[in-house]
Amino acid sequence: MRLRSLLPSPTLLCPALACVLASGCYSGHVDADSDDEGVDSGESGDDGGDSGEPSDTFECDPAAVPTSLPLRRLSKVQYENTIRDLLRFALPSEGDGVADGLGTLLAAIPNDAIVAPPGQNHGGFARLDQDVHQEHINAAYDVGRAVGTALTEDPARLQQVVGACATDGDASNDAGCVDDFIRRFGERAMRRPVEDDEVAFFREVFDGEGVTQGMEPQAFADVIAVMLASPQLMYLIEHGEDPVEGQEGAYALGAYELASRLSYHLWQSMPDEELFAAARSGDLLTPEGYQAQVDRLFADARTRASMAEFYRQWLWLDDLPSMDALVGDPRFDAFAGDFAPGPETHEHMRDEVLAMLEYYTFDTPGSVSELMFSNQSFARAEDVAELYGVQPWSGGEPPQLPDAERVGLLTRAALTASGTANTRPIMKGVFIRTALLCQDIPPPPDNAAANPPAPAPNMSTREVVEQLTEQPDTSCMGCHGALINPLGFATENFDALGRFRDEQVLFDDDGQVTTSVPIDTRSVPQVTAGDHTPSAGPADLAQLIVDGGQFQACFARQYLRYTEGRPEDPVTDGCALQDLTTRLEAGAPMAEVLRAIALRPEFQQRQID
Amino acid sequence: MPRSMSRRQVLRGAAGFTLALPLLPSLLPRDAGAGGGPLGPRRRRFISLCTEHGGIWGDNMWPGDAMLSDDQTYAGHSIRRGDLVASEADGRTRLSQILSAPSTLFTPEILGKLNLIRGLDHTFYIAHHQGGHLGNYAQNDGNGTDGQELHASHRPTIDQLMAWSQEFYPDLATILERSLIMGNNVSFGWSSPATQSGTVQAMPAEWSSLALFNRIFVPEDDLVDPRPPVVDRVIDNYLSLRQSNRRLSSADRQRLDDHLERLDELQRRLEVSVSCGDVPVPRTDTYEIQGESSFFFDPEAQARYWQLFNDVIVAAMLCDTSRIAVMRVTNNFSSFPGDWHQDVAHQAHLPNGEAQALLAEGNQRFFENVFMDLVSKLDVPQGDGTTLLDDCLVAWSQESGNQTHESISTPVITAGSGGGNMRTGQYVDYRNLAKGAFGKWDESNETLYPGLTFNQWLGTALQTMGMSPKSYESGDYGGYGEHFVGEGREHMYAPGVLDAQGDWLPWLQA
Repeated sequence: MRLRSLLPSPTLLCPALACVLASGCYSGHVDADSDDEGVDSGESGDDGGDSGEPSDTFECDPAAVPTSLPLRRLSKVQYENTIRDLLRFALPSEGDGVADGLGTLLAAIPNDAIVAPPGQNHGGFARLDQDVHQEHINAAYDVGRAVGTALTEDPARLQQVVGACATDGDASNDAGCVDDFIRRFGERAMRRPVEDDEVAFFREVFDGEGVTQGMEPQAFADVIAVMLASPQLMYLIEHGEDPVEGQEGAYALGAYELASRLSYHLWQSMPDEELFAAARSGDLLTPEGYQAQVDRLFADARTRASMAEFYRQWLWLDDLPSMDALVGDPRFDAFAGDFAPGPETHEHMRDEVLAMLEYYTFDTPGSVSELMFSNQSFARAEDVAELYGVQPWSGGEPPQLPDAERVGLLTRAALTASGTANTRPIMKGVFIRTALLCQDIPPPPDNAAANPPAPAPNMSTREVVEQLTEQPDTSCMGCHGALINPLGFATENFDALGRFRDEQVLFDDDGQVTTSVPIDTRSVPQVTAGDHTPSAGPADLAQLIVDGGQFQACFARQYLRYTEGRPEDPVTDGCALQDLTTRLEAGAPMAEVLRAIALRPEFQQRQID
Repeated sequence: MPRSMSRRQVLRGAAGFTLALPLLPSLLPRDAGAGGGPLGPRRRRFISLCTEHGGIWGDNMWPGDAMLSDDQTYAGHSIRRGDLVASEADGRTRLSQILSAPSTLFTPEILGKLNLIRGLDHTFYIAHHQGGHLGNYAQNDGNGTDGQELHASHRPTIDQLMAWSQEFYPDLATILERSLIMGNNVSFGWSSPATQSGTVQAMPAEWSSLALFNRIFVPEDDLVDPRPPVVDRVIDNYLSLRQSNRRLSSADRQRLDDHLERLDELQRRLEVSVSCGDVPVPRTDTYEIQGESSFFFDPEAQARYWQLFNDVIVAAMLCDTSRIAVMRVTNNFSSFPGDWHQDVAHQAHLPNGEAQALLAEGNQRFFENVFMDLVSKLDVPQGDGTTLLDDCLVAWSQESGNQTHESISTPVITAGSGGGNMRTGQYVDYRNLAKGAFGKWDESNETLYPGLTFNQWLGTALQTMGMSPKSYESGDYGGYGEHFVGEGREHMYAPGVLDAQGDWLPWLQA
């Protein structure tokens, strides 16, 4: 097909960034506004100047009160985990089986959208989706009904869930039996003790306006259904207790509220018995008791899953396309050569990055430097290990990568592969600029792609991108030449399957080699505005990113977004952002940084107007 | 003894159905007079199919100008129309390269129920967008200054206006789903839809045709449960918190109010009683098709995918369990192995025509395999001399006009008359041929001419569906959608064009 031979790099331009407005970007010289660091607008999610560069330093105002989300809804993951944990509590031996049977009902809960911070089209976190849809209500109702039925549908289960009193035929203990069940199960479902008026309410549900006969299973099922559809289960309801001194509108969380906030942040689920006990005893509200619970929860395997979600969404790993979609296309097959990507290859690539992050977060003390410079492979799957030229990792000390150029996060297959025969330097650049540096890229001008020049068929991917977006005196040049392309060019020594290369072989549509062209990874990435330090390739770029300070500040912003479920406000969140950034710049282990946010005072309070 | 749940107690469906394909014949024909007519007011249905990109050259998209036999002056410029006349050759009916399909599908009867609407403009530069199809222009990628400026102006889309309007749904006795949404960020509604207030939020998409089926076909259950409805106690529980004197922020209370409103809707749905006969459960799910690695490069699989949704939509409308469906179709219906967006859509204007040919080929497949498949399935007798399609307004809109990124002259192809409200069988062209928008601004031979506004089209669609302008219009201009003329485009739209936005589009009112 002639069209494709005209365009040797079919995956070059990103959807929204074919060209970008020059006036808002670095223009190759120091811009006074661009260097204006540390200026916060005070508006949530919008603290960058025209340069697109946000602050990498934050000021802490102890009197500032961070905004709290109103009636925070459990995410889909949190809701599903909660239902599963409740079932395990009620039916220790069968809970997982019952939960597995809820598959289609749980699937009806809408997937949370990945919500990007204001002004951005890419990235974001599912926790920022706080919309409540009819489907949430319908599905939660159906789940509640189904769980109620499942827990009471035979005498053995009823006895296990409610107690022997439910089936002993002794009417004299029925009232106490029902009340005890309401208090015991209700404490878990509502994540706090059931108050007396609430016991009375659920007792009315049980009585069913007088139709209930004795210890009727359906009556218990109704109680369970109402509890599972209750606001206390579906939302994190925080009334707060004592006002926080010196912070108008802020209230300290109660023990149970704090237990829930902590467990949903680190575990994505309800508190366990030990955490409930700490809340019950009041120990959780002591500094020592709280620290102990934070440490305990963080060390639990469930925290690994939560942090994996954070990392996955922060690094856009769910956007990684399939690697085998074009198998059978002559050009792609020729490009892939001996390597045969399978339907799970992209998942294995993603898993490798997550394994690296997990390793440095939980298994060995690692800072952001380890993330950016690690030359070890964490590929457990054979296909990705083959791409790296190492043996699959099966635990212990990860194998060393043979390619000296494969340095750190930026060079992993998940961050370089595209699933086609060509890399996507523009998207790589956009990713680094927005996800790792938290810098805005101005929108492209009107009709940005109206008249692209035709690239020659013997051009490298880099040359094609330069031809299309870096023509002198065009509106495209400003942002592509300064903000976007140089970051993506730095890792062009890894091909579209993530393999190291020192030349790019070009193929025609029939899969025949047409030529090969040298790889050039040199660029001036301008990680910080006005910095014209050249970069020879991935290692230099990683060094500039680590040294620049923006990466650490950006990590703090991203983690705060994930924690709070909202965009950060550099003013009212300044204390937390400053704390995290300072730790990161000092080389603190990732575990310390991730744990630190839960120890912040802001985490233990809520703003209520 | 465990007690079976009644319909009043549970919404979930599917489990009771075990029958086999085909899905639709079991419903056809049924319920004579369901469309209204002499037996009552017509039940109108709205189905929107939204496709990405556009960028199709005029010669590929539209019939020849000779079909435009009539003209008149409207809003200060000359506009044109003509009756649809198709050619027949090799077993295919053809209006244009894209608007062609096998004659067995594209029958003379169907031809008479189509409208081709040319010359509808978004009056600003919006480039890539999802919300522009149905009136939430704020849902765009921010590719230009106009798009960025619109980001602050989210508003519900017309499907959600109708979904919560008594004018569209005068009764909800059989309605299990007010709207069926297939695709992200195309349909938007209020967080408090009953009061039409709160925040505007994207409606969640359903990607599984089987799950969608389960939502609109619920097993009938004759059991009478003596126990009081659980949903009532759930509502009591929320009310108790809402009315308590515990410390809550005003936003907390608003969230509870919104939740209570949704519980009212749940309560309503649990009262719905429908009888759809023996509706078989589809045995193939869209999930299965999309799960194949080759799906995105397999036009036949993409056709099957959307046809499964078509089946469910038509069945829901036959059974009257929903009357609104919105599909955001993001597939390209091509086996092109590269980056469709950049290599085809963004190159479709190049004069060598290679990318344009791919684009046109994909859109023709969509027309034949999705649009015409849906329309033909809807065109079934209702027993009163009309077909279900007659009560529908099916509208296919594209993201851009004949230039990718540019929403001047965005094509809209319709089928059905909305219960007799819309005149059909026409090709209308509202472009102002005396005024080029930008001159020849790209390498193709396409010229962009401003026409009438997309707001006017959306208002026309709403009126076709029985909505009164006072129920949706606001501000100084009529029609629906943010009124905004982009910088540098003021010269393109005479005051008469803007003043006319509240009117029916010319020639379309029956």
